Amino acid sequence: MNLFHRLAHYLGKLTRRRRAEAEMAEEMKFHLEQRAADYAGDGLSAAEARQAARRRFGNAGALQEQARDAWGWGWLERLGKDVHLAIRQLARSPGFTFLSVLTLGLGIGANTATFSIVNAIMFKPLPYPDSGQLDRIDRVTSQNPQARFSPADWLELQRNADRYGELAAYWVVDTSLADPGQPAEFARASRISPNFFAMLRVPLAQGRDFRAGEDVPGRDRVVIISRLCWLNRFGGRADIVGHRVRIDGESHEIIGVLPASFNDGRHLGPLELFRPLAFDHAKAADRRSTSLRVLGRRAPNISPTEASAFIATLGAGLAQEFPEVNAGSTWRTVPLNRTVIDENGRVMMSMLIALSGFVLLIACSNLANLLLARTITRAREFALRSALGASRLQLLRPLITESLVLALAGGACAMLLAWWAMDYLTQRTTDDNGAKMLISLDGRVLAWAFAASLVTAMTFGLAPALFALRLNVNNTLKSGARGATGGRGHQRFRQILIVGQFALALVLLAGAALFVRGLDELNSRRAGWDSEHLITGSVVLPTAAYPDADRINGFHRLALERLQSLPGVASASVSTYTPFFQWFDVRKYVIQNRTAPPRGREPAAVVNRVSAEYFATVGTRIVSGRSFNERDTATSTKVFIVSQTTATAWFGKENPIGHRLARSGTDELAWGEIIGVAADVKAAVDDSNVVKSQLYQPMAQEANPRVEIAVRTAGVAPAAVLESVRAALTALDPDLPVRSLQTAGASIVRANYQLAVLRDLLGTFALLGLSLASLGIYGVITRTMAQRSGEFAIRVALGACVRDITRLVLTSGAKLALVGSTVGLVGAIGISQLIIAAFPTMRFNSAPTIVGATLLLIAIALLACWLPARRAGKVDAMQALRAE
Amino acid sequence: MAEKLELLSGTLDLLVLRVLNRGELHGWGITNRLEQLSKKALQVDEGSLYPALYRMEAKGWIEAAWKQTENNRRAKYYTLTRTGRKQLETEQKLWDRTSAIMAMVLDSA
Repeated sequence: MNLFHRLAHYLGKLTRRRRAEAEMAEEMKFHLEQRAADYAGDGLSAAEARQAARRRFGNAGALQEQARDAWGWGWLERLGKDVHLAIRQLARSPGFTFLSVLTLGLGIGANTATFSIVNAIMFKPLPYPDSGQLDRIDRVTSQNPQARFSPADWLELQRNADRYGELAAYWVVDTSLADPGQPAEFARASRISPNFFAMLRVPLAQGRDFRAGEDVPGRDRVVIISRLCWLNRFGGRADIVGHRVRIDGESHEIIGVLPASFNDGRHLGPLELFRPLAFDHAKAADRRSTSLRVLGRRAPNISPTEASAFIATLGAGLAQEFPEVNAGSTWRTVPLNRTVIDENGRVMMSMLIALSGFVLLIACSNLANLLLARTITRAREFALRSALGASRLQLLRPLITESLVLALAGGACAMLLAWWAMDYLTQRTTDDNGAKMLISLDGRVLAWAFAASLVTAMTFGLAPALFALRLNVNNTLKSGARGATGGRGHQRFRQILIVGQFALALVLLAGAALFVRGLDELNSRRAGWDSEHLITGSVVLPTAAYPDADRINGFHRLALERLQSLPGVASASVSTYTPFFQWFDVRKYVIQNRTAPPRGREPAAVVNRVSAEYFATVGTRIVSGRSFNERDTATSTKVFIVSQTTATAWFGKENPIGHRLARSGTDELAWGEIIGVAADVKAAVDDSNVVKSQLYQPMAQEANPRVEIAVRTAGVAPAAVLESVRAALTALDPDLPVRSLQTAGASIVRANYQLAVLRDLLGTFALLGLSLASLGIYGVITRTMAQRSGEFAIRVALGACVRDITRLVLTSGAKLALVGSTVGLVGAIGISQLIIAAFPTMRFNSAPTIVGATLLLIAIALLACWLPARRAGKVDAMQALRAE
Repeated sequence: MAEKLELLSGTLDLLVLRVLNRGELHGWGITNRLEQLSKKALQVDEGSLYPALYRMEAKGWIEAAWKQTENNRRAKYYTLTRTGRKQLETEQKLWDRTSAIMAMVLDSA
């Protein structure tokens, strides 16, 4: 019989099992009847003959069982029986079962939830077909590793890129959006090269893509909207394609809607409107205003290294040809899938996985301890069975099955927890527009949870089981009830588990504490500004209604007048940036009467254009010189204020006031004078700017249509004036969208929400780890005490005081906790270094935090030991000894 | 009646195969035939016969089919397969060698 036949035979038997059983019974009945007939022939009565036949035949049940073994159903039957037995055994000790399942569930749950996040962010490729071919093109300058491109450079790049593949550009710009006749709303918009969606291979859900020729000024009044925009702002109306809206005051036709899968928040952020990039002649020749980002899809026949080299060569050529802007910059490609998360993020993600792994490890050692204790109490039973001839496998099997059942129950519990955690995380990561991170329980996550359960069960179920096997039959049986104390080996094993738990718990606790305090510091930072009693919000003036600097300046003047006259308002200002968020406007300068540094090495600064009252409103101190005032207008002399860092970096010990600067890169330098020095400000968010020099210039001298409004209140809570501020602005221009008008504190907390999610995760891990470790040490001490009650009784009988016994127990627990904490300190210092490196802008006070965490951990350990130790002293000597 | 012998372990398979080589038989028939052939010197234990039958069936040495007996009862008849015949040859040879060696040693000792 070949393998196939054998298999078919076997499977056939398996499926025909019921029939086979019936046949077997019939065959044996036939045999019995024949035998009885035989006996009857020898002269026995019918009843006697039947009885004799049955006697001769033996135990039919046992026979059938042997037959079943021969058929090969044995293992299935045994597994079923083992599982049944395991469940019955577990049900007999519900406390143990509940604790183990909960422990496992928490451990695996924390792990699975973390993995689902990492999976959503890191492992899932971006939702574009063949996303492995996509690159982001970076221009790396000395000030910015991700500098943007100028229109002229982009057009040149596009013209010369056939060997690379296809390139597309985009430019993110905030706009106002309004239905005809309705007040405008703030919208996150972009302009894209018309081939953008085609290159990413994103098919539109409705309508059409851009056509050739729509990238010409005047013919570019067409817009494609995101699905969220369609749902949130247009109620998902069916006739959306062809609908006309006003964007920045100009009428546009909606020509398409993107699919839901287009942007899962990992690549472009919550963009809602997409319009074609349209350059007139002047703009197309512009090499100075760098605003474009460039993406590319490599041709299939070009390798990533070749592609990067090709782009680098193109960039080098441009740098030589147009050194004013491009000198000192190198170009390169970065695979788009890798841009989802930066190096620090990757470190952070790995750290999260490792930390959740720690929680699982702590949970596992608790489980191992529980299982070990259970095994030891059954040591006599095992020894007896072993003496009666049970094989190792037979002894091990029920133990393994038991831990398997536990693991599966724990795994199910974990999935529930992970589900709940995901719900919470999705909620936390949902932004104002309803865009959210897509975290889901996909196959990868399920596989992870399942694998974690299995590995856990096998390792931590087998370890105690193997201990049970090493039991010496003779000793265990001889030592009677005291066999249950477990040998020295068990004690050592348990102690190692407890020490390990405390070491891991300390790492978790220190990491979490560090992060909680770091984020608190970030959220309450007052570095050169004061967010108390401050309201901020953004306003974008539509180009159609405010086409030039005069109109914009006029509006700013009027708005500030109105705001300042509101009751409860101390002062109000407009600026391009708030002091607590990152400033993106990086500019290079030439200093008068200085030999110009080589191109690309000019002094650079982040620039904030501000109105006169800005410094007073946000609370940035003017250290020397004067602030801007009403006389610094578009027509007066250009003036600058520099920060202290800028002053030292550019002028050393010299007084910077009176020096003259001009923005470099222009043919005609527009000189201005430094009139003051302001205190340095530091953002309250993770600020990735390499440029640390800060520079201010009056808003009136270079008006910007998009501004941040800041209002300082006096005598009233800032929340109380929110509505009057909004009303004042709407009264001024109903077509004006005001975005995120809220207290400065609220907007800082909102901006740091990702860090807050991280803090919550780390905090949860630490809490879990700490409780599990405390539970572990509590359990071990309690058990040891129960086992040593006889010894304590003798001690008391010999004259030991209650205090001595308590101290004895306490010391043994404290020793474990101390050794664990010492080992954990190394890990805690390691993790603090990791966190510090991953968040360079956050300030961590690591030494006191780690010391505090260690002390807290030891205190909790002592408490966990003291509770059972207290009872140890009260042992009734007579009773304990009599029980022996 | 001669003293009854318990079967040597491992020999039951050979005996069953040998008996079936002469034609199909049901379990009861096999018991009877063995007792008959050994002139009642062998007592076949049902407790080992049926498991042995199922084991050999699973190994593919014998096949079973339900048929009518002479007196119109349903019974399960076993027949030898090709593999079974080969197995019979192997076991027969093995037994011959074993018994020859046993005889040799016992005689000369």
